[in-house]
Formats: sequence, C-alpha cells, structure tokens
Amino acid sequence: MTPYSEAPNQAGMEQDVEHAVHKPYRAYRPRPFTKSERDHSTVLFGGLHWRAERLIQGAMENLGYRSQVLSAPTKEDLMTGRELADIGQCCPTSFTVGNIANFLRSQARQTSAAEVAKKYVYVTAGACGACRFGQYHQSYELAMRNIGMESFRMFLLAQNGLDQGAADGGGLELNLPFTMGAIWAILAADVVQDLEYQTRPYEVTPGETERVARKSIDYLYEVFRASPALSRKTSAPLWYLVTSRFVKALREVFRNFHNIEVDRLRVKPVVKLTGEFYLQTVEGAPNYNIHRWLESEGAEVYPAAIAIWLDYLLRFAGQNYEDHIGVGGCARLKLGVIKTGQSLLRWSYNRMRTALGNLPHEMPDQYELRELAAPYYHSRLDGGEGDMLIGKALWAYHHKKAHMTCELSPYSCMPNSMSIGAMAAVLGKHPDLLYAPLEVKGDAEVHALSRCQMVLTEAKRKAQQEYEEVLDRTRLSPEQARELLESSPQMKRATYRIPRCGVVGTAANLVLHLANRKRQ
Amino acid sequence: MLNLWSTHQFWVGFLTALGIDPRRIAFSSATSEEQARQFGKGRGTVDCCYPVKCISGHYGELLMREKHRKIDLLLSPMIYSLPSCLNGHVAASLACPRVMAAPENIKAGFLKEKDVFAEHAIRYAAPLVSLADPPIVPQQLYQGLKNVIPALTLDETRSAVREGYTALEIFNARVRRRSREVLERCAREDKPCLMVLARPYHMDPGIGHEIEVELRAYGYPVLWAQYLPADADLLQWVFGEDLRAGHVRSPFDIADVWPSSYSANTNEILWGAKFAARVPWIAGVIRLASYECGMDQPTYTPVQQIVERSGTLFFSFQDLDSTKPAGALKIRIETIAYYLEKHSSAIIEAKKAACLPDCPLIRDTRRESASVSAPGTPREARDPDSIRRAWRATQGA
Repeated sequence: MTPYSEAPNQAGMEQDVEHAVHKPYRAYRPRPFTKSERDHSTVLFGGLHWRAERLIQGAMENLGYRSQVLSAPTKEDLMTGRELADIGQCCPTSFTVGNIANFLRSQARQTSAAEVAKKYVYVTAGACGACRFGQYHQSYELAMRNIGMESFRMFLLAQNGLDQGAADGGGLELNLPFTMGAIWAILAADVVQDLEYQTRPYEVTPGETERVARKSIDYLYEVFRASPALSRKTSAPLWYLVTSRFVKALREVFRNFHNIEVDRLRVKPVVKLTGEFYLQTVEGAPNYNIHRWLESEGAEVYPAAIAIWLDYLLRFAGQNYEDHIGVGGCARLKLGVIKTGQSLLRWSYNRMRTALGNLPHEMPDQYELRELAAPYYHSRLDGGEGDMLIGKALWAYHHKKAHMTCELSPYSCMPNSMSIGAMAAVLGKHPDLLYAPLEVKGDAEVHALSRCQMVLTEAKRKAQQEYEEVLDRTRLSPEQARELLESSPQMKRATYRIPRCGVVGTAANLVLHLANRKRQ
Repeated sequence: MLNLWSTHQFWVGFLTALGIDPRRIAFSSATSEEQARQFGKGRGTVDCCYPVKCISGHYGELLMREKHRKIDLLLSPMIYSLPSCLNGHVAASLACPRVMAAPENIKAGFLKEKDVFAEHAIRYAAPLVSLADPPIVPQQLYQGLKNVIPALTLDETRSAVREGYTALEIFNARVRRRSREVLERCAREDKPCLMVLARPYHMDPGIGHEIEVELRAYGYPVLWAQYLPADADLLQWVFGEDLRAGHVRSPFDIADVWPSSYSANTNEILWGAKFAARVPWIAGVIRLASYECGMDQPTYTPVQQIVERSGTLFFSFQDLDSTKPAGALKIRIETIAYYLEKHSSAIIEAKKAACLPDCPLIRDTRRESASVSAPGTPREARDPDSIRRAWRATQGA
C-alpha cells in the first residue's frame, strides 16, 4: 500500500466534518444467554479438524447443549472475512470470521436476522496473549456489525483455563465438565487421526480407511454423547481420569481398523506437519488441504496432535511459576500442580494410544523440546508455538521421526514468523534437515504448494535412498522382502505395529523387521 | 530501537548502576534506509513487519563500528512485558510478540553462514526481561548477563534494577508533567493541540517519518499517548462520567472499548484515544501504523470510532515503511493543517459543551498530583541520592 494513503473515512471529508459529540464508542458485549434458552438455542463452534469437532459435539450434547459444527471454511469465507473486518488480518482470522458471517447470512436469508440471533450462539477459543489470536473478538464484532447482526451472541473460551465459570446469563457454563469433555474428545480424536494417517497411504482398497475412520468417529460421538451425566462439576476430572469408557470404545475402533489391508512396502517419505495451531490442525481450504495434498503426492503425513498444544500450554504456564519461585504466590506448589497435570495428560493420552495398539505417535517431551530449541529461541517467548516450533523440527530430525518437516504459518503471523526466522540458524547448523516453511495466505495456493514440492522431492529421494540402504544391509531384494511379507499376513493388517528399527520410513522399518524375524 | 524507545532510561540507569560509565553506553543511530542498506543487507531471515526488519541494520551498524568506537557487548534485551501506567487496570502489559522475539530472529541472520559476533570479537546478550513484573526482573537479568558481565552478582543486579526503574520513573514523570503543561496552556488560551496515537518506536525518525514534527512546524503542540498526564484530579474530570455510569472501574480501565487488553502498547493507544476524545483541546488525532503491523490491525476501527464519535478530527497514516515520499507527506500535512485551522475552534467548543464543569486544567494551573510520580527537577534526576529517594517514595506508594 502507498504510504500516507488516506484512511477510507477521509474521502470527502469536507462534507463529513461535523462538530457534534456522539455517544462514546463501546465494545461489543453479548446479551445474556440464559439457561432457559439452552433447549432451543444452538451453540455453533468450529476451528479444529472434523474428528475433534464431532467428538466435542458429542461431549457438549452430553451436557445438554444443542450444538452444531460449522463446516470447514472455504475460499469464499476467506473473501468474506477480508471484506468484513479491518485490513491486514492473518488468514485464520479471515477464514473464521468469514465462515461464521456466511453461515449467519445464509440462515438469515431463510428466516430473519433477529430469528438467527435468537436461535444461535457462537463459541470460539481466544487467547490470553498479545498476538492477534487474543484480539479476534474485535474482528468478529466488526464483521457482525457489518452484516447487521450486532445482536448476535459470541462467547470466547480462553484456552488456558479449565474452569472459567458461566458466560453472561448462565446458559453456557465453561466449567470442568465442559472442559474435561472437550479435552477427552480431543485426545480421542488425536489418536484416531494419527492411526488414520498411518493407514491411508498404504491401504490396499482405496477409500477403506476413510470409511472406517468416519464410522469410528460416529461411534465415538455416541460414546461421548451418552456418557453418564456429571452433575457435580468437581467430580468430572476424577471421572474422566479413571473411567475405562473411552479406552474400551477405542479398542472397538481398533477392531474396525484391523480389517483394513495395507501394503507397507510402498516407499513414502514421512512428512511431519508443524506450525501455527489453526493451520496445522484444520483440514481444508485454510491450509490448502495440505494433508490430502501431501498424501496425493506420495507422502505419509505425520499430523500435529492437538494434545501436544495442550501440553505446551501447561509447560508455558509452569515456566511462569518457575520464574516466580522465591518471589511469592506459592509458585512452587502451583508448578507442582502443573507438572502433575502434564503427567496426567500424558498418561491419559498413552492409555488411548495403548487402546489403539500403541500405533499412534507418542507425545514429545516438552522439556526435551525446550532443551533442543534453547540455543536458538528463548523458551519464555510468548505467542504462537514459540520455541516448540523449533524444538519439534529438531526432535523429528534427531529422533528420525520424519524425513521432512512442513511448517504452516499464516502470512504475517506475528509470533511464528519470529520462530521461523530463528530456524535460519538451525538450518545453518543442520543443512540436511529438510524444512519447508509455508506462508499461508489462503489464496496463492500454487506458489505455496510448489515451494513444498521442492522440499518434498528431496524427501522422496531420501526415503528411497534409505530404503535401498536397508535392502543392502539386510541383503534382501525387494522381491524377497515382498515374499517375506506375504508369508506373514498379520503384517498386512492396519493394526500391526512395526517396531522402529533406527530408520525413518515405514517401508525401511518393515524390511528391517522382516529381516530380523527371518534371522530368528 | 523498538521497545527501547519507552524503556531506554531503565537501561541507562541499570547499566550505570552496574558501574558502566554512561559515556561507554552507545545506542545505535536512528533507523534509516542507508543503515539498512549498509549494515542489514542479506541478514533478513523472514518477511515480517517493517520495524522488526529494521533491526538487522541496527545490529550491523553496532557490530561494524570503527576500531576506536568498537563495542564490547551488544545488548539487545527481549522485553516480554512493559512498564505502563495502565498496569493493574488491564489484563496484561505484554510487548508485541514480534518485537519481543525479534532478537532471536535477527541473531539468526548473523549466525546462519558464520558467527559474525565472534568474527568481530563482540559478546552478544539478549536477556529476556519482564519489565511489568519487577520482582522477577533481577533474576532474569542476572541469568541473562552473568556470562557476559564478569563477576556480576545477583545482589548487584537487584540493586541496579532498582536504580533502573527509578530513572525510568523520573523520566516518565517529567515528560508527563510537560504534557500537562501543554494541555494547561491550550486550555488557558483555548488553543488546539494534537495527539499522536502510535507505538513508542514511531518516535524513531526512520519508522515514524517525523510526521508529528512537520505538524509542530504549523504551531500545533503535539502529545504522545504514552506520556499523557496521569494525575488523579485530571483523570477524574476526564473519565468521571464513565466511572459514575459504571462503564469503567478506574480512569485507566479500557474494558469498555477493548476487552482483550493484553498488549501494553495497544492498551495505551486505546486509552490515549479515549483521553483524546474527552479532552476538548485535543482537536485532532494522528494515527501512525507500520507496514504489516498485526498489533495495530484489529484496532483500526475501534480507535477511529472512539476518536471520531467525539467530533475530534482523525488522520491515519498506515503501512509506514522505508519509503518516505516527501511530496505526498507535504500534501497530507497541509491538508491536516487546513482542517485544523478551519475546524478546531468549533471542535473545542462542541467538546467543551459535552464536558463536566470545573476542568482542573483551567481551574488550577499549579499541578496537584495525586498519582505516583517522582519528585525532582532534571538536575536532581541525575543525582543518585535523589533517585534512591524517589525509588523509596515509589515503593511506599
């Protein structure tokens, strides 16, 4: 934009100048959402991937809320978002603002704006930070004003509080049963998503994994929806921690996946997704459908579990207490509580992984990530993924978790652009670390994907080279490896766990495993 | 550079108290295109906002000084949170996440091919410091500096931090007092003044383009939102109606216009807009925002609305970057001056009519400050005993 350009309001200012003092500007305050409205008002939400959204919907319905998941944002939503809110937004803001605005407009066309404002409320996550994520409310507010729906009710769910009490009016209680239900839904969705992405690239019957994944999520949705009602909010954490309800349900999911036949001798590079929370999580237009695009280009995607983000939030809160030890406020005690919370999160996640045959990837240790990133990025720097973005790339590199890391951040993302900048020093030290940082604008898809493809080509070469080296080492030919696989039909099941043998690729690990078994 | 524009007095006070001769404390020069070209070229690691991009030039300039002016230590603090008069009334006073983390990003540009710091035998320190949380600052600075300042102790750091805060407090109090004097003069003479709503680093001529300086040349006094008077009598008058109506809990509360009050600089801009809207003699507001500033982006509409609904003139300079087209600037400045000349009297009258009576700016030109402020003239401010006394007074308050 040309510097010194005039703000739009100043066009024709000569006519506009008036000397009246009007009522002062006040920020939007939603009118109360009362308990009595719960039965006939629907809570709208979105912003995650479809599995997590569906299971959260089940958890919310269990608490007596009518809820509806907004469909994944589209490019049309992006354009609407850009049009309705102030210029210069990051693309997650544009997508999400446009998404809710377009939904409300379409509903209002069928009934009326007043009817829609009565029928729906919107809940979205906010942040307690200085980045734009913490200021989304303003963009939503402006968009609502611009579409003539000022009376529509929106509530922010802070991402760092387990019990945030009731929103104004008491109709929406962001309390422990609500939060615990949402967290458990996320953990279950994470492990199913991980298993799904490990299976689909190798499925023998195209579409089978998708079918089973959808069936499994529908089943889990019912399990969440029909959970026992937790009347006392304090008992919710304990119930979620001790119940075997979800573990048993995941075992059923595991049985569904068992029927999928896979061929894991297909050589594919493993691509780990990292980046800004929204873009690494959603599956659709906001991130150029990157998950499916990578699969279509021959990669095995290592998706970003939301649980890792929750673990990071806990670590970050703990660091604050670490810094206040000796200063006051029972910091040591609070740090202990946080660390216990982290242990319980990991334990619960691992219970769910075990139910799926330990196939889903483990959560990286947050303190290892911090240590890995420390020479490049300070662990206390707030906003975005902070040092975790660097720590995860180095963790995947050192532990041979992926051939390549694809990092997704919105164009002009304030905090993540700093972490990405600091990666320059990492790449200077580890030039063989394949890293594809994609600046996502929502449009300019070809530019971003072609950039990714350049690094992916190198990752494919690495995966092929690794596979051939393993064949050399084991003195097996591809045909012999195939023969060994055919003689072990259990290894052709999606639920068979191939032990990791010090290499990255699934096919390479399978060959080493086959060779080891042959020797035994 | 950047956050140092509002905290430099802390750093000078802190380093001086550690025994470093003030003459051996050097700041990089003001941002300029030439600085970026000469010292920052090829050091960028990522596309980002213009102010952060500029830092490479500052680093390069300090690293490549001539032999007789060579520095030993490049200190580039990562300021996590900022001192602000709004602290305690807002959700938090965090620094912009980009500005906060910029040293890590910029450092990478000087390490990616070879270690340029080592090449010039210059130590580098980027301690993370939460200036809005004084109890933890000594430990943060001790941890961040113990490896680059020989024999540094925690006690010594603690004492130096106290001196740093005192120096900053005295400086801020002095500038706020000057702002009050400007307002009193305008009120007495019924003359207009202007307010700049911007981030502190827009005072850097290379980032803010000295737009307010051009306007001063037309005879309009200019106030910055960061240094508005915070005296209780004045704030009660300015925000009295909002307090009585329950829109805010204190004169520093901005929840009525900006609920997510996490960012120190954003909070001050919003508060400054409210102040400008309610003080009659502030007839015009100049809004400055840099290219790709994600912090300012969501505030464009609220700030404009707050100001314009009061009848105050609002002029916005957005997307400021390295380009400074003199002609375009001149035309806009002339336009602003024209509108001010034509409308300011009517604006002042209309705003006065909407105000409470008994304005303390007119009633008593001698300041009766009830807010936390340090005593002392500028001469006294340089006296260490005076600084300590002021610090103790601040602690007591």
